[in-house]
Amino acid sequence: MKDKKNRRREKFLNSPFQKKMLLLIFIAAIVPSGIVTICLYYIIFNLLAAQLGIPEAIAYNLLPVARKVNIIILTTLPISLIIIWGIAVELSHRIAGPIFRLEKELDRVISGEQKTPLVLRKKDELKPLTEKINKIISKK
Amino acid sequence: MSKKIYHILSLLLLTLLTASCCTVFADQEPKTFPFSETSALEEWEEKIFKGKVLYVVKVEKRDGYLSAYSQNSASGIFYRLKFDPKETPMISWKWKVLKFPEKKSKNIIDEKYDSKQSWLEKDDYAARLYVIFPKISFNLTKSLEYVWDASLPKGTILTSPYSENIKIIVAESGKKYFKKWIYEERNIVDDYEKAFGRAPGEVGAIAIMTDTDNTTSTAEASYDEIKVGYKK
Repeated sequence: MKDKKNRRREKFLNSPFQKKMLLLIFIAAIVPSGIVTICLYYIIFNLLAAQLGIPEAIAYNLLPVARKVNIIILTTLPISLIIIWGIAVELSHRIAGPIFRLEKELDRVISGEQKTPLVLRKKDELKPLTEKINKIISKK
Repeated sequence: MSKKIYHILSLLLLTLLTASCCTVFADQEPKTFPFSETSALEEWEEKIFKGKVLYVVKVEKRDGYLSAYSQNSASGIFYRLKFDPKETPMISWKWKVLKFPEKKSKNIIDEKYDSKQSWLEKDDYAARLYVIFPKISFNLTKSLEYVWDASLPKGTILTSPYSENIKIIVAESGKKYFKKWIYEERNIVDDYEKAFGRAPGEVGAIAIMTDTDNTTSTAEASYDEIKVGYKK
């Protein structure tokens, strides 16, 4: 119940840190998968073409398959990009969200408005750090 | 960077450059295929398209030739080599047709746009020799095919019904020299420019094929003294 209450409604905070994280995660997912796809495509089709040898055999057997694969890649590419973008937003939010919140709550602790321990959401990162900060606050 | 590492790197670079130059110059040597021994086909790869054509080296009186017999089949023999045709543009060979594939229509040029299937059915030749120009991707690879056809006029250039990247050049025509050895010599660069309208890249392979898969008939031809990559 408490976790539901604490749930952040906005997945995208107006924070430069989250933007940076989002971009990093997105690029880290897109670049290697793009390289692997291109390499596999290139290696598989060129090896098959080298194996077939005769130009008519390549045109008759391999080109129609390559066209089908191209259509599949072009169709699934936008879907994959949307999924990767969604995952990147979620991951960057889990990292940037607690930092954003910790920063705000620490400001309130410093100004003396808050003395209760800081609480993070279930799936948030940086829980050990929050616990250590809470220990420091409780010692005061 | 220390001097020692710099020297080692320079030496490595020099070795690589020398090795690559040696490879380039080695490949620029003309390559000949006299088919004078029964083992001559060992350096060729067999590539099957539809059914197997019988390729045999026949040695008679110390001289040999390559015999091809196709019965409702299409397979070729393939040899990988590398040379720049702009440096050494010539290719020559001898061939002989013993039996042409049975095509229903005499002239495929008039019919080719009427029905692709009808034209495809006539894409069988008693003898053909490929010059293949590989590119970074297989779908960009271009080929010239020198064919001997029973009816098409000599010098005709056609686009293959299979792909725009395959151009068929009628190097020999008719039955005038039927069952006789004919010597052919072609300039690959000139033919490529005529067929594709631009200069060729490197040659990556040559191939030979006698096929009858589309006409479901039989054909027989012989090939000999193939020489590639030389200047005239």
